[in-house]
Amino acid sequence: MARLIRTEKEVEGRYEEVWLVVEEDPLTQWPAGPLSVVGRPAERKDAPERVRGEARFTADVRLPGMLHAAVLRSPHAHARVERIDLAPALALPGVRAAIGPGEASGLEEEAGYAGAAVAAVAADTFAQARAAVAAIDVEWEALEAMLDPDEAVRRGLFTAEPRRDERGDVERALAEADAVVEATYRTQSVLHNAMETHQAVCEWVGDTLHVYISTQFIWGVRQEIADALGLPQDKVRVVCEFMGGGFGSKNSPDEYTFVAAELAKRTGRPVRCALTRPEEHTSAGNRNPTIQRLRAGARSDGTIVALDGEFTNAVGWSGWNAPTEGPMRMLYACDNVRTVTYGAQVNTPPMKAFRAPGFVEGTFGLECLIDELAAKLDVDPLELRRLNYADSNEGTPFSSKNLEECYRRAAPHWERRHEVRARSDGPWKHGVGMASQIWYGGGGPPSYAWVRIGSDGRATVITAMQDIGTGTRTAMAQIAAEELRLPLDRVDVVLGDSARGPYASISAGSSTTPSMGPAVRAAAADAREQIEDIAEQRGLPRDAPVEEVVDLLEDAQILGRGARGPNPTGMSVLTFGVHVVEVAVDVETGEVVVERVAAIHDVGRIVNPLGASSQVEGGIIQGVGHTLSEQRLLDPATGRVLTTSLDAYRMPTIADVPEILCEFVDRPDEHLTNLGSKGLGEPPIVPVAAAIANAIRDATGADVRELPISREEMLRALEAARRKERRGAPAAV
Amino acid sequence: MELLRPSSVEELDGGVFLHGGTEVVPLVREGLLRADRLVDVRGVVPRGVDGAVIGAGTTLGQLEVEPAIPDALREACRLAASPQLRNMSSVGGNLLQSTRCWYWRLGYPCRLHGGDICHAREGEHREHAILANGFCASAHPSDVAAALVSLGSRLRTTRRELAVEELYRLPDESDRRTMTLENGELILELELAPVEASVYLKAMDRKRWSFPQVGVAAARLSDGTVRLALAGVAPIPWLLDGEAAPGEALDAATPLPRTEWKVPLARALVRRALAALG
Amino acid sequence: MSELRLTVNGEEHVLDVPVGAGLAHVLRDELGLTGTKIACNEGHCGACTVQVDGVPRLSCITLAHAVEGAVTTIEGLRQHPLVDAFTRCDAVQCGFCTPGQVVSAAALVAANPSPSREEIRHAMAGNICRCGTYPKIEEAILTWRD
Repeated sequence: MARLIRTEKEVEGRYEEVWLVVEEDPLTQWPAGPLSVVGRPAERKDAPERVRGEARFTADVRLPGMLHAAVLRSPHAHARVERIDLAPALALPGVRAAIGPGEASGLEEEAGYAGAAVAAVAADTFAQARAAVAAIDVEWEALEAMLDPDEAVRRGLFTAEPRRDERGDVERALAEADAVVEATYRTQSVLHNAMETHQAVCEWVGDTLHVYISTQFIWGVRQEIADALGLPQDKVRVVCEFMGGGFGSKNSPDEYTFVAAELAKRTGRPVRCALTRPEEHTSAGNRNPTIQRLRAGARSDGTIVALDGEFTNAVGWSGWNAPTEGPMRMLYACDNVRTVTYGAQVNTPPMKAFRAPGFVEGTFGLECLIDELAAKLDVDPLELRRLNYADSNEGTPFSSKNLEECYRRAAPHWERRHEVRARSDGPWKHGVGMASQIWYGGGGPPSYAWVRIGSDGRATVITAMQDIGTGTRTAMAQIAAEELRLPLDRVDVVLGDSARGPYASISAGSSTTPSMGPAVRAAAADAREQIEDIAEQRGLPRDAPVEEVVDLLEDAQILGRGARGPNPTGMSVLTFGVHVVEVAVDVETGEVVVERVAAIHDVGRIVNPLGASSQVEGGIIQGVGHTLSEQRLLDPATGRVLTTSLDAYRMPTIADVPEILCEFVDRPDEHLTNLGSKGLGEPPIVPVAAAIANAIRDATGADVRELPISREEMLRALEAARRKERRGAPAAV
Repeated sequence: MELLRPSSVEELDGGVFLHGGTEVVPLVREGLLRADRLVDVRGVVPRGVDGAVIGAGTTLGQLEVEPAIPDALREACRLAASPQLRNMSSVGGNLLQSTRCWYWRLGYPCRLHGGDICHAREGEHREHAILANGFCASAHPSDVAAALVSLGSRLRTTRRELAVEELYRLPDESDRRTMTLENGELILELELAPVEASVYLKAMDRKRWSFPQVGVAAARLSDGTVRLALAGVAPIPWLLDGEAAPGEALDAATPLPRTEWKVPLARALVRRALAALG
Repeated sequence: MSELRLTVNGEEHVLDVPVGAGLAHVLRDELGLTGTKIACNEGHCGACTVQVDGVPRLSCITLAHAVEGAVTTIEGLRQHPLVDAFTRCDAVQCGFCTPGQVVSAAALVAANPSPSREEIRHAMAGNICRCGTYPKIEEAILTWRD
C-alpha cells in the first residue's frame, strides 16, 4: 500500500529532504547469520561471461552506421572562445557533423579548466574525428587562471557557500586542554581511472533516444537527458548491462553523452563518444586535493575535549564541496567541535565523487591527528579511540553501531605490534598503525523490483539496476532465492535497461544493496505469498516446493512486485570499521611497503561473503594506491594536467598487494529495512591512508603529513623526525 | 604509412626502424615521431646470446631468464617495464628509448623539441634529473642502459663499434639530440666485457612496472675496475667518474628543489651496490 | 589498404586493412572479437593482452601488419580451466581487465603449471585492475587445476 511521506534521502553525505511515495515494508528480518543462500558465499552469476570476454560493455556496442565522435578541449586553464570556425573540420574526409559551444550540454564557450569541452565532431572513424578536431579553427581569449586553492579562499572564490559548524566552545576547550596537537595535512588529486573509459553510444529510434552508456545510474542519466533535451522521460531509454568501473565518476551523463545525442540527431546515425585514456586524466573528474588545518585537545586522562578543523577542498571549476569535515564531526564523542569547509573554485578539472568523497581525505587528517594526540598523551591509540566512543551522532541515535565490536576484533591484530616492531632490522623499520572508519551506507527509497515465476519453477528478478562490478546482481539473486526458498541456480536477474524493469537506485554512496535488496525481497515475498495461496488451493502445504506448485501454470505466470520501504526516522544510518596495518619502511631510501591489512567492517547483514571480501580487498588496494603512489599533477604555469597516462599515474599492480585479512561483524541492522544490510562499496577505502601513516609513525617516529607518501615525503618526514630527536636529545656535558 | 620488411642490412634504405614497436608505435601515434615509412628490422638484427655477444634483437624477456649474462643486466631486464613489454622489446631498442618527461611527451616546445626553455626546471620536476640538468632536466629511463654502461659493454652498429656510453650525449644549444646514432644507423649487437661481479638496484614508485626513480648499476670488471652507472638521474645514463669516490660525484649533484630527495636515495643505493659487489 | 593475413585462435583470416592499424582494433572491429579490451591504447595497462605464439603481448601497440605468429585471444581460451578458477575464486569484478588477465595467466601456467605467489606477481604485474581483484587472481592461478 503506497503512501506519501516526507523523508531524508542521503547519498554520499549529502542529505536532501524529499517527498516520496513509499511502500510499507511488512516483512520481518531474517535471523542473523548464514541462511540457506543469503549469508553464504556465492559465485557471481555473470562471472563466466565476464571472464570469457563475452560480456558486452558500452565499449563493445556496435550499431550499423555508427559514427565516432572526438571532442575539442581547451588547452587553457581559463579562456573564452572568441571565435570558432568548424568549416575546416567539416571539410575533412569522413566527417559528418560538427557542433560548437552551446550546441550540446557540456560544450561551453567559457572553458574553466584545461580539458574543458568546447566542440565536437562526428566522423566515420575515430582517427578522422580526431584529425577534424585538430583542424577546427578556434581563437581563445585567455583569462586569469586561479590555481591556488588558498588564494581562491582568500578571494572568496567558492563553488558554494562555505560550510561552518560548531558545537560547544572550541577555543575555551583548547585553552583548558592538557595536551594540544596542531598539524596541517594535505591530500592530492586522485583519478578514478576505471578501466573502461567514460563513453556513450546514442541512437535515435524514431523520437526515442537510446543511450548505451557506461554508468552507475541508469535512471539518473535518463532523467538528466530527458530534462536537458526537453523530452518525456520515457522517450529516453538507457542501457547498461556491463560497465567497466566507475568509483563515483559515472553518476551522470556528462558532456560526452550529450555530444553523442546531438551528433546522432544531426546525422541520423548512431554516434559513439568515448573518452580516450588521456581524457580520463584531464576531463573525467577526480578526488579533489585538500588542505586540512587541524587541532585537537585532550585531557591527560585521554578525553578528547576539542576538535577544530579548517578544510580547504580544491574543488575545481565546478563540483560540490565534499564533506571532508565529516569524520571530525561524527567519529568521536567530543563536546567541542568546530569545522569550516571551503569549496575553493579553481581553474582545475572539476571534482567528481570518488569512493567516499571527503571522508577518505578527512579520515586521513583526523585519524593521523588522533595518533599524534595519543603520542603526546602517551596513551595507546586503540585505547584513546575507545575512550572517546560516540554513542550517538551528535545526539541522534544510530540505527546500529558495532564499532566497539570492531575494536574488540582488532585487538589481536593490534597486539601483534610488539612482534612486528621487533622484526626491524638494519634500515628496515616495522610498525603497526590503525584507523577507524565511519561513513554512510543506508541507501534509501525509491527502488523497485519485480519477480516473475513460470511453470518451470525458475524465478527471474527484473529491475532496471546496474551492477558496476560489485556483484550486486548476484546478491539480488541470493535474496530472491532465500525468500522463495529456491536454489540459487534457479534464480536469474535481468537488469541494465530502463525499458525493462522499474526504477532502481544509483550504484554510488554504497547504496545498491541497502536500496535494492529490500525491494527484491519484497517482490519475492509478494510472489511467494501468491504461490503459497495457490498451494493452499491445490490442497498442498503452503510451504510446498515452488516447482511442485507452479507446474500447472502453463502460460500463466506469478508476478511479484516490491518496493524499498522508508529508512528509520530519527536515526543515523552509518557504517563503521577498523583497519590495522603493518608496514615496513626503509629509512635510507624512503621505500614504504604495506605488508598486512586487517580490515574489520560493520555494515549490517552480509549477503554474499565472497563478493563482500572482494569489495574490501578492492577498496584497500585503491587505498594503497591513493596513499603511496597515485597523483594527478598539474603544470603550475599553465594549469594543464601533466600525468595523462597510466605509466605516469601509477596505480597498484598485483605486486603491490599486501596480505589482507577481512572480517565482518555481520550483525543485521534491526532498524533498517527487511534486510538489515548496509552498503560496503566505500567503507573499505576510508581508513587505509591513516592506518598506513600511523603505522609509519609507529615504525619510524616520522609524521607523514601529505599524500601520497612518496619517497620524497617519506624522506622529508624521516629527516624532520631526526631533527626533532636531535633537538630533544640532552646536551652532552 | 608503408611498412617494409628487409631481410638484410644491404636492403636498408631510410625510414624509421621498427623492432618491438613499444617505443615507435606510441610515439608515432602521439605525433612525437614522424614515420611515413616504417622499416621492420626483425629480419636484419641478430637475436640470441652467443657467449659474450648478444644480438640487439634479443628481447628483455629472453635476457631476464638468461643465466649466462651478468647479474646487473639480467636484473635490469627483470625489473624493467611489464612482462608484456619485456616480451616485445628488444635490448637494442631499449637503449634508444626517449625520456618520460611529461613536458616532452606532451609536446611542450622544450629544449629537446628545439625550443629555448626547459619547462621542468621552472615547473613540475619531481621525477627529473639531479645531474647534468642545467640545459635539460629530463631523466633517462632505461635500466638496461645503466647496466650495460656499468658492465663496460660495447655496441656494434651497421657503421661502427663504440662503447655503450658513447651512444649518448648531453643535449646542448647547437644539438638537441641525446643520442649519437646517425640517421639510418642500426644497432646490431652488444658485446659484454668480462666481469667478475655486478649488481643492479632499482628504486621505483611501485613494486613493478615503473621507471627508475634512481637505478644503480655496479660492476667489477675482470681487471678489478669498478664502474657505477645510474639511471633516472640525468638526461642520459650516467657513468660516475671512475677517479672520484662515488660520494663525491653525488656531492656535485645539482638537484632542483623537488628532486633533492633523489640525492640521498642515490647515495644509499650506491653504497648498497658497492657493498653487494663485495 | 593493404592485405593482411592473420591466424587467430586457429583460424586464418585475410583482411584488407590500412598499414598502421593496431592489432587490437583489427581483432575487435574487423573480426568482431570484442573480448580483447582496449583501456589505454598506449601499452600501459595490459587489458589488450593477447598471445602471439603463446607469448603475451600488448595488441594495442602491435601493428597488425607486423604480427609474426599465431594469435590467441580470450575467445580461444574459453575452455581453459582458468575460466572456472576465476569464477570460483571471484577473481572478477567489473570484468573489463579480466580477459587480459586470463590471457597472461594462461601463458604463465603453460610455462609453469605450479607458480609460486612471487612468480605469479611477477608475471601478472603488467595487467592493471582498478577494481582490485588481484588477491583473488592470485588464488585462481594457484588453484587453477583444482
